[in-house]
Amino acid sequence: MSRYVSFRDFDWLLLVFVLLICALGVVEIRSATAHTKFAGAHIKQLYWIAGGLAGMFLMSLINYQVLLDRVHWFYIAAIASLITVMIFGQKYLGARRWIKMPGGAHFQPSEWVKLILILAVAKYFADLHQKELSWGDFVKAGAMVGVPMLMVLVQPDLGTALTYIPIAVMGLFLGGLRAKQGLAVVLLAGSMMPLAWHVLKPYQRDRLTAFLEPEADPQHTGYQVIQSLIAVGSGGLWGSSAGSQTHLAFLPVPQTDFIFAAFAEEHGFVGALGVMLLYFIVLMRLTQNAQTAPDRAGTFVVMGLVAVLSFHVLVNVGMVVGFMPVTGIPLPLMSYGGSSVLFMFLALGIVMNVRMRRFVN
Amino acid sequence: MAASTDRNRTHLRLYLLGGILVLWCLAICLRLVWLQIFQYGQFEQRAQRQQQRTTEVAAKRGIIYDRSGHELAMSISVDSVFAVPTEIHDLGQTVSLIAGITKADPRELLARCKAGRTFCWVARKPDAETADRIRALNLRGIYFQKESKRFYPKRDLAAQVLGYVGMDDEGLSGIEREYDDQLRGKPGRLLISVDARKKWFGSVEKQPEPGENVVLTVDQQIQYIAERELKAAMQQTHAESGTVIVENPHTGEILALANWPTFNPNLSREITPERLKNHAVSDVYEPGSTFKVVTISAALNENLTNPDEKFDCQMGSIVINGRRIHDWHPFGVMPVSDILAHSSDVGAIKIALRLGEERLYNYIRAFGFGQQTGIELPGETRGMTKPVNRWSKVSIGAISMGQEIGVSPLQLAAMVSTIANDGVWTPARIVAATIQPQSTPQTIAFHPAQERRVLSPLSAAEMKQMMQGVVLRGTGRKAILEGYSSAGKTGTAQKVDPATHTYSRTKYIASFAGFAPVNNPVITVGVILDSPVGGHHGGEVGAPVFNRIAQQVLEYLHTPHDVELPPNRQLLLARQRVKQQDLEEGSPDHLGETLDAADASAADAGSIPLAPSQSTPEVAGNAVIPAGLRERVPSSSDEEKPAAPATTAGRTPDAPAHLPSSGTVVLDVEQGGVVVPSFLGKSVRTAIEMAEESGLDLEAIGSGTAREQSPAPGAHLPPGSRVTVKFER
Repeated sequence: MSRYVSFRDFDWLLLVFVLLICALGVVEIRSATAHTKFAGAHIKQLYWIAGGLAGMFLMSLINYQVLLDRVHWFYIAAIASLITVMIFGQKYLGARRWIKMPGGAHFQPSEWVKLILILAVAKYFADLHQKELSWGDFVKAGAMVGVPMLMVLVQPDLGTALTYIPIAVMGLFLGGLRAKQGLAVVLLAGSMMPLAWHVLKPYQRDRLTAFLEPEADPQHTGYQVIQSLIAVGSGGLWGSSAGSQTHLAFLPVPQTDFIFAAFAEEHGFVGALGVMLLYFIVLMRLTQNAQTAPDRAGTFVVMGLVAVLSFHVLVNVGMVVGFMPVTGIPLPLMSYGGSSVLFMFLALGIVMNVRMRRFVN
Repeated sequence: MAASTDRNRTHLRLYLLGGILVLWCLAICLRLVWLQIFQYGQFEQRAQRQQQRTTEVAAKRGIIYDRSGHELAMSISVDSVFAVPTEIHDLGQTVSLIAGITKADPRELLARCKAGRTFCWVARKPDAETADRIRALNLRGIYFQKESKRFYPKRDLAAQVLGYVGMDDEGLSGIEREYDDQLRGKPGRLLISVDARKKWFGSVEKQPEPGENVVLTVDQQIQYIAERELKAAMQQTHAESGTVIVENPHTGEILALANWPTFNPNLSREITPERLKNHAVSDVYEPGSTFKVVTISAALNENLTNPDEKFDCQMGSIVINGRRIHDWHPFGVMPVSDILAHSSDVGAIKIALRLGEERLYNYIRAFGFGQQTGIELPGETRGMTKPVNRWSKVSIGAISMGQEIGVSPLQLAAMVSTIANDGVWTPARIVAATIQPQSTPQTIAFHPAQERRVLSPLSAAEMKQMMQGVVLRGTGRKAILEGYSSAGKTGTAQKVDPATHTYSRTKYIASFAGFAPVNNPVITVGVILDSPVGGHHGGEVGAPVFNRIAQQVLEYLHTPHDVELPPNRQLLLARQRVKQQDLEEGSPDHLGETLDAADASAADAGSIPLAPSQSTPEVAGNAVIPAGLRERVPSSSDEEKPAAPATTAGRTPDAPAHLPSSGTVVLDVEQGGVVVPSFLGKSVRTAIEMAEESGLDLEAIGSGTAREQSPAPGAHLPPGSRVTVKFER
């Protein structure tokens, strides 16, 4: 089987575009963190990318079908790691998200849970050879994603929890979701809204609604949205070389969640559009890989990544331009952060794996 | 088949998802277009508004020059110290270290630093040594900011005229306050970039425009003479306060205005309200006998009497409207000229009664009493003159001898100047011009403001002659000058005791106001001493001050002598005779002789119509060109005497007929400015300090000790000029 596998079939074009985005990210991290206490973060980011690349090549060597066959073990491990976080997690900024690893690094299990969920959902729907989804499968698939999602929600980490939704949606949608079931999802979500709203703490509510009317409280809840809009807006067509919003620290976390705003300020509309185009190309390329996948499971895996990636990009950029609430979802490949980078490259590794095996069956 | 339809459906759904994705992307791109292209300007402005703070940068305050371009007040650059408390870890220690150097109260300073989180002045405009010591501490969060500090290089010279400025360079008194708008200039803007934590980085955007310079009519040399003599008189008489005014009678220009007590405006602790007071313009006092000049000149001008008409002074007592007024001395029958010379109260009252209330009041107003002279100084008083309908039955008697009326020393000087200026009243002025700061010499032309004729030239000439009589034969004999004729009037007014509202028996205001030379007056000098201890008569305490000031000023101005300078022995004799109070022979023979001639010619002068064309070239040399004091004709008395042996120098009859209507002050900025010190042999640091102190901009080349400098030491440069100094090891 493995003799059919060759790096000649590796998606080098996809990798080039991915690395291009990463490079822009590194440059922007460098610019945004210069003269701050995060100075030098771009070097760390380079290490993460290098590590990610290594991980990606390793992952591409493992047959994804083998991974899928053992996905129930991974799923159990994922749940276990989330429980570990709930008990032993490091509390930081009021949230219990990280496990301290020996050697000082911090590990955020919710990121790799995302990867396992993609595989689990893919495996689950690939094994269902029905045209239409039964209600039982519908509920099971929902529970499969819902349980870890709730566990992440209580950390609390709303942003990451939300990123699980597109995995489920993509699986359900491609797995033969019926119109009635779709309606049920919408109704359920609709009826859950007021309840969820009730559960949220006032500051969380304010954060979620601030983007609608940021000027109502420009110094507190509206601050991040306003600063982000000012940064993007003052970039103009070609960008402002001074990048003052970023460099004078008005823009919050310019190296992670608001890196797109920092980039748009320094490189203007042209730069922002360029980045959007790069992501679009990457997504289209991934979708093409999904179509050429050797089996249903392969399609599901790749589309799972497409779902997560597009959700990240659109929600993050939507947040930066004031379309979406500020939820703490980073921009994949660009934002600074090891877990995020590793997740992306490992996921890409699986995609490569799928692509390399497209002629196997 | 099923698999293929399934696959097709999957593809369909993929396209659907792709479509939604593309739409979302499009929406975001449109949003970017809106934000970054259409709303760019607005966001750009918002970004600047929150990232930049504009602070005003004070402009360099204008210089105050004397009439010859000497700086009396200038601004120098000093380092102010401020703290950014958020950057300081141990605020208490930092503050106590600085307070130890500046001698400030550490608790108060600490409280201020805690109040201002991001900015707090620690030491405003300290001296160079203090700033250096703070700098040497090298403290974290302590910064230095250049500020301009007002500097009065002549220290207490003309302090009340110049005034002083507050910590923010705002004029608080004197010219500094009156001309604050002109001196202040237009502030520049300092654009500061602020980050989200309010940490700032400074950068200048708009340079401030320096203020205009003010040129005074004051001559620093005359001012110095006036202050020195006033100080000497104050120490001798132990008076409470005193003031001296030296004025050009023809133009109203104030050549000197001295006050005591005084202060050094460089030292803020010396500034107290009583020292700040400019007695010359803001004091109101009862003038006493000097006011008899008004009464008598009015009567002369109305042709109601003549200098030789005899009045019975009734042995020192008169009853008006049922009230008896006593004279200071029982005088008998004497002419009007003696009434003035000996200052008979009864005589003055009799003349006033002949004049009548209405006419007396009109002359009082015509001489400028009861209204401001318009001098460019803050706080000028109008004095106190009651209109006739508020006069009591005895008011005319009181006012005729200078009671029941309040005047300022400046008004008094203006009155005497009116006599000296042939009967034309001229408003007093102390500012020659305001000029734009530039380094080229400038000529300032100015024209006296509205003049008005109060007395006919004849009456004025008669008054001059009679006032000369005061000096020669009367109460003002201590005002006799050497080589110059002089005229004036003494005044000794009892002060009103504020507690009892009656005249004090112990406190007097002694005054003397006069002019010299008599026929061609160059200066009017007014001397007022408040509450001298011991001798308190105007002739006793005021006249000697007039004497010393007038003598020195006339010599300084190279005024030609109009009285033959006697041989030294005779001069000594004359002085001794004056000391013996010899009333009969008050003046040496030869002096009396020449003066008689002078009187005659003065009388002639009065009848000559005012026509400048009549003055011959010879005459012009002697005639005083009022504002041209700087452009002195180099005709000293030595040259003058052989040239005109028959008529005494300066007594050319028609000289005073030349009535000046305008004048010129040449302000030579090149000669003014800063004198370049010698930097040679100095270290870089010392040289920089010296340059800062003298208001020069130092360009240091190399290191070590100074070997060459350009321009050379002693050169005059406008303040702020660049001096290049080469340093070598």
